[in-house]
Amino acid sequence: MPNRRFEIRDPVHTFIHLDEAERLILDSRPFQRLRHIHQLAMTYLVYPGASHKRFEHSLGVMELAGRVFDIVTRPDKLSDEVRGIVPDHGEPEFGYWRRTLKVAALCHDLGHLPFSHAAEEALLPKGWDHERLTLDLINSEELRGLLDTMRPEPKVDDLARLALGPKTVAKLELGLDFTPWHAILAEIIVGDAFGADRIDYLLRDSLHLGVAYGRFDHNRLVETLRILPTPTTPEDLQEAGGDVPEPALGVERGGLESAESLLMARYLMFSQVYFHPTRLIYDLHLKDFLSETLHEGHFSTDVEDHLSMTDVEVTETMRMAAADPGRPGHAPARRLLEREHFRVFYESRAEDVGALREVPHAVYEAAVEEFGADSVRYAASPRRGSPPDFPVRDRDGRSVSSLSLSEVIRLLPVKRDEYVFIAPELREDAKRWKAREFEGIVERVEEAQEKEEEPEKGGDRK
Amino acid sequence: VRQGQREAVLSRLADRLREQNSWCGETHVQKSAYLLQEMLDVPLGYDFTLYKYGPFSFDLRDEIGEMRAEELIGLDSHDRRYGPRFVITDEAHHLQSRYSRTLAEYEPRIDFVAEQVGDRGVLAVERLATAFYVTHTNPHAPAGERVDALCQLKPHIQYELAADAVREVDEIIERAQTVEPTGSVT
Repeated sequence: MPNRRFEIRDPVHTFIHLDEAERLILDSRPFQRLRHIHQLAMTYLVYPGASHKRFEHSLGVMELAGRVFDIVTRPDKLSDEVRGIVPDHGEPEFGYWRRTLKVAALCHDLGHLPFSHAAEEALLPKGWDHERLTLDLINSEELRGLLDTMRPEPKVDDLARLALGPKTVAKLELGLDFTPWHAILAEIIVGDAFGADRIDYLLRDSLHLGVAYGRFDHNRLVETLRILPTPTTPEDLQEAGGDVPEPALGVERGGLESAESLLMARYLMFSQVYFHPTRLIYDLHLKDFLSETLHEGHFSTDVEDHLSMTDVEVTETMRMAAADPGRPGHAPARRLLEREHFRVFYESRAEDVGALREVPHAVYEAAVEEFGADSVRYAASPRRGSPPDFPVRDRDGRSVSSLSLSEVIRLLPVKRDEYVFIAPELREDAKRWKAREFEGIVERVEEAQEKEEEPEKGGDRK
Repeated sequence: VRQGQREAVLSRLADRLREQNSWCGETHVQKSAYLLQEMLDVPLGYDFTLYKYGPFSFDLRDEIGEMRAEELIGLDSHDRRYGPRFVITDEAHHLQSRYSRTLAEYEPRIDFVAEQVGDRGVLAVERLATAFYVTHTNPHAPAGERVDALCQLKPHIQYELAADAVREVDEIIERAQTVEPTGSVT
């Protein structure tokens, strides 16, 4: 295959560089479909600039992943402790992994449903999610045919490892193990700390939405990424009797502030954009609309059906439903398009933890009893998880834990936010009801906790 | 096992690890929870996959994050060279007292795992847990095959040390059979 190079202009990375093989994927139907999948679902109803698509994001992830790979595998950037994990430059294995990483980055979002993440769990048959669809698309006749023409040819199992990452591979029970090298490459694309996916979506979303929260010095970060040995105590090393610590993706001390900025940017974008309550309720209205209008209430998992369904088809159906009270999905379509979305009337408090963690859901259940299930909704941001612990090469050359070195990373807030929403026409009634009933709801939650935990009565038995 | 019960078990496990002079960072807790669930059959409900430093559960990582949010565990980072150690808070001890029946049921198994893991460094814990992983996924494979599998999955582990780890895991599995399945439930 001739080795022609192509460039595509991009507002985040200036240019995206592709070779012939990557261009084949770009021109395929599964990839072109991403031109019609909004990156941020219906966030454009809140932030009008949010009209960008998965298409350019996927190109950006490929560009960044390639850059990171080239930097972390440079011989002069590898210490002796980790050199053995990286294939030698010029060896076929090196070219294989570079090719596989970039193709995996291009393909990582192929399975997204119309309007991306919005309520996909409820809109696919049990056991399905967009990652499983991504794998089916990689395995489809069309893409397999393209992969067959590439030299070196990426293996589907390796594409799955790198495009989906260990968490999803485990969830889908694919039976694929991750060596430290696999883990590092997957981390380059979908890693929590500085995956190309995350770097690109923060920068791109921030740019399009016009919010500054998502910006950080990503060029500095990328230049300082390294493969480093895991921080280990001298006693551990002595006890290990010659074993070396597992290598992992980390950062030079000089890039730590950039890594901190990325994690702060993510925290702020999560609370201000991705899980902003108005966006959450739009997702729920969209889910209601799709449940009422899709055949059997969910999307088809057939590859051809998937390829033919984008935001364009859904939006058209929605516009017709909003205009016609006789059509399925009329009520949620109107809520979405006429901005009559439900409003927040309870937001989890700082004290809704421990014994009181059930309070938001108890408020929701009590409100459903009072106002009816059609008028009340509950939504929560996902669990934020622990802050990432990655190796940092300190100025004296040793690997140090990011959590030990950075108070910023250690103190990133981890509590999730929960909301109860009410139909706008009931907002005032709901406020009065809450003022009257809230104390009683909290007391009932506390009583239920006490009952559950009384040791002598066996209330805590599973 | 419900969330409150899991949190009580995890915080008790961390307590016991620290009593055994464990560093008790995330790797120790991850690998100990893996052994507790897969070797000692405590139904914590986590999905483990082979990832960083051996078997790893993303659900467990999220749960630890939630326990931090609820101030059940804190991070001790006073020695900044290494990863932080988990500190079990008074709130967690209060939670443990509320789930005394659950803990009584699993106490012998928690103690057993803490004794096996507690005084090992992080590299030795990784080796041991991965040796159990290859044994657990290929229970009838001869030791040599499992050592090869371990070295393939973790190429930075030396062959002799991998062989020691597989041998030791076989012994621990045998000893685990003698652990009382249930403690005294009052």
